[in-house]
Amino acid sequence: MKKIFTLFVLLVAGMSVLAQQNNKTPSADSMLNLLSSTDAQHEQILPAFNATRLIFSPTTETVKKNNLNFLIIHRFGDMGTAIGGFRSFFGLDAVNDVYLGIEYGFTDNFQVSVGRNSIGQMGETQFKWALIHQSTDDHTPLNLTLLAGEGIRPYGSFASFGDRLSYIGELIISRKFSRTFSFELSPVYVRDNQPLPYVPGNPPGFFALSTAFRWKVTKRMSLIADYEHPFSSFRNNSGNFEDPIGFGAEFETGGHVFTLNVTNARAISQINSLSNSTSSYGRGQFRLGFTISRMFDFNKKKTSNNY
Amino acid sequence: MRFTGIVLLVWMSIFQARQGVFVCKNAHINIFSSTPIEDIDANSIKAVSVYNANTGDLEFSLPVRSLHFQKSLMEEHFNENYIESDKFPKATFKGKIQSPPDVSKDGTYPVIVTGDFQIHGITRARTISGTISVVNGIVTLNSEFTVKCADHNIDIPQIVFHNIAENIRVRVSGTYALFKN
Repeated sequence: MKKIFTLFVLLVAGMSVLAQQNNKTPSADSMLNLLSSTDAQHEQILPAFNATRLIFSPTTETVKKNNLNFLIIHRFGDMGTAIGGFRSFFGLDAVNDVYLGIEYGFTDNFQVSVGRNSIGQMGETQFKWALIHQSTDDHTPLNLTLLAGEGIRPYGSFASFGDRLSYIGELIISRKFSRTFSFELSPVYVRDNQPLPYVPGNPPGFFALSTAFRWKVTKRMSLIADYEHPFSSFRNNSGNFEDPIGFGAEFETGGHVFTLNVTNARAISQINSLSNSTSSYGRGQFRLGFTISRMFDFNKKKTSNNY
Repeated sequence: MRFTGIVLLVWMSIFQARQGVFVCKNAHINIFSSTPIEDIDANSIKAVSVYNANTGDLEFSLPVRSLHFQKSLMEEHFNENYIESDKFPKATFKGKIQSPPDVSKDGTYPVIVTGDFQIHGITRARTISGTISVVNGIVTLNSEFTVKCADHNIDIPQIVFHNIAENIRVRVSGTYALFKN
């Protein structure tokens, strides 16, 4: 009995050797899948927006670590009023607002920006912190970024130094619905110690909502739109104020992002545009504008050719 | 005796089925392109590979997002505009080594592998040379080859043409372990 069993064992063992030579067992395909199953979970999606700003609104994106973004933003004069027309080349000779600024990424999720607006000669400092990133598996379905900013008007007559200051706080929420379509909604709070415009009844602080989308038409070009609405009974009742609306096209060329837009609002800074936008499309008070954003990378060169 | 026999039987069949199958979970992939304006250099150590030393079957799979670049914007554009890694998350190679060497003996063996290389959703039949070295029973595979962007429908727009080479050098290096389940 023992002998028979030993024989049987040897026979089967020998057969398995033969069988193994004939088959490609185990299938390399299934093994590769087994190994690949350890792929990163909750992987962050590719960026929802190309740039850190759209037209008025900041996006949920921040400048990456050791990157410096240089920004030049312009708003020209009215295209459809007496200021416009062919003589001023549709408002190009009448610059309404210019913003020059830099943004620096201290980490991949935290940036500081400093800049200057022509309107009010207002200097601005902003801190932007990306808190949550949307993941490919929808474990986190949204991007969430917090922005806190401060503006200072160093010129002009103010009762006290404190009156020169204004503040903005914003919770930017965005979702990339598809490879081409991203949408964002941001509750904003603006506080201006000397409210703009400085007229009786204008409260120093108010809430607002800003909403925008990006629709990527080609790999290099996207259409964007941006709309803001201040929740202010003073602004609703006075009848002079208009909600800023902007439409634009964004071109991405590698290191640059170039945005060409049309807006009714003259101001670039949200503190100004939310507080005091009175120009309306209906009266021809819309203008061309552009944003040039140029990224510089200061990450140290890593050489990896010899391994 | 009968019990030992069964154990021996089961053990032998498992051992033999798995014999000669090697896996690597952390193969190093380096891609490099050079132009007068800019060098592009990215690395990943997250490629996985399976090599069947009996049949010569060799497979690689690389999660494209695991390639990290020196410049973060470069990495973003690589994923978004060139490889489109949200659509095509993996680069793979499935092939067969012609006359696979005996990896039970130490030595360095030049090998030629023929198979399908896929990236950006486009598959190309490739014949790639490399080396298998065995040192103290540890199997290492090294290879270097060139990928032509045009072969895989990777468009480089005119505007950045001078920054990105048409040919990308790929280096692969993996240290394998015998597969244990």
